[in-house]
Amino acid sequence: MKLKVYSYRRSQPVRAVIIFCKVNGIEFEEVRVDIAKREHCTPEFSEINPLNQLPAIVDGEFKLFESHAILIYLACSYPGVADHWYPSDIFKRSKIHSVLDWHHSNLRRGPVTIVQNSVVAPVFHRTFNPERVAEGEKILSAALSKIESFWLEGNGPFLLGVNQPSIADLSLVCDIMQLELLDEADRNRLLGLLTIKSYKMIHRL
Amino acid sequence: MTLKVYADRMSQPSRAVIIFCKMNGIDYEEIKVHISKGQHLTSEFEEINPMKRLPAITDGRFKLFESHAILIYLACAFPGVADHWYPADVSTRSRIHSVLDWHHSNLRRGAAPYVFNTTIAPVLGRPLNPQAAAEAEPILSSSLSKLESFWLKENGRFLLGGNQPSIADLSLVCEIMQLEVLDEKDRARILGPHKKVQQWIENTRNATSPHFDEVHKVLMKAKEKLQNQRLKAAKNEGGSDMKKALPSRM
Repeated sequence: MKLKVYSYRRSQPVRAVIIFCKVNGIEFEEVRVDIAKREHCTPEFSEINPLNQLPAIVDGEFKLFESHAILIYLACSYPGVADHWYPSDIFKRSKIHSVLDWHHSNLRRGPVTIVQNSVVAPVFHRTFNPERVAEGEKILSAALSKIESFWLEGNGPFLLGVNQPSIADLSLVCDIMQLELLDEADRNRLLGLLTIKSYKMIHRL
Repeated sequence: MTLKVYADRMSQPSRAVIIFCKMNGIDYEEIKVHISKGQHLTSEFEEINPMKRLPAITDGRFKLFESHAILIYLACAFPGVADHWYPADVSTRSRIHSVLDWHHSNLRRGAAPYVFNTTIAPVLGRPLNPQAAAEAEPILSSSLSKLESFWLKENGRFLLGGNQPSIADLSLVCEIMQLEVLDEKDRARILGPHKKVQQWIENTRNATSPHFDEVHKVLMKAKEKLQNQRLKAAKNEGGSDMKKALPSRM
């Protein structure tokens, strides 16, 4: 039975998982779940993920959700996934865990707060909330500074200064790309916070 | 002894790492960094962790922060760590990653700001923030419900139906223990409805005895101090109420 990936391409963590599968030649069936139509709240999808979130996967009888957990599972379970995505070396691997964890409470919170309280607010039954958007911008700005000054330190163009991308690069960049949903003026202002290093990383990916 | 653990035992994730080391007989030096005294903001500590957060470890020249990353590193790098903490089986391990990730955006997102903004903030020189607490409480309550109905739904004594604890049990239980410093009424209201959660906390405490209680002593002392402060404040309020009543009697 083929791997099933439950997906909504407007979701950042979903895109990270889909890109990972395609880049590594992992065969999968993409099952679209439209969040805007609340398909993630149906009893059918609750069978897949009782916490009603995307992405989720089903691999045979094994069900899994949370994108970082999924990326790690795929990297470990499918032959042919190059080591640089999730290195077997314990020290390199631990650093990847560290940035993935940092991501939850830092970078991810920024674009999510901005986008959910502005352009996609109606999808979440919210109204435009300038206060929350301002909060989100502060978080984003702080997170981008840390990426510039710390996570991209080193000789290579990717996170942790390495020469080839890992699952961490995929996860974080997909979150930054969410800013594409904003109107051009806001996006340019916020992406202007990125400097040369971050752009290089995004484009290389 | 090359492993150093930078910790403040008032910090939930610091406690998880310390208890893990003690349970597994890992040789380490605990370097206390007091958040309340701003020691995490010094340039010395910034050398260890530029994010200025706890816990952090150094193992020889290797530095690492983020408690889940640390727990996984210790489980993999130190011989003698029993498999149940971080099983080698890919599927079981993935489910542990899943609950650890869920924790960041759910339980921790609710519990940490709720406790901070109702109770702990003044200890760190910040004001209480009832609005932030009010926003955090539903996230905390919903997370406890999810633990009760989903993460603890299988037959075992621990998360994901396990009969022995994993690093996920340690991390999440240490987070919930922070609720001990709340006003008793609030704690009972928030935690009271969740019987499985309460039993699981007890199971984790017993499975990591005596280290669990020893490492939580600092928190329990803080709890006692805060309770005494509340009692004193209540008595003083009672006194001023009487003074207000007197003129009307006269």
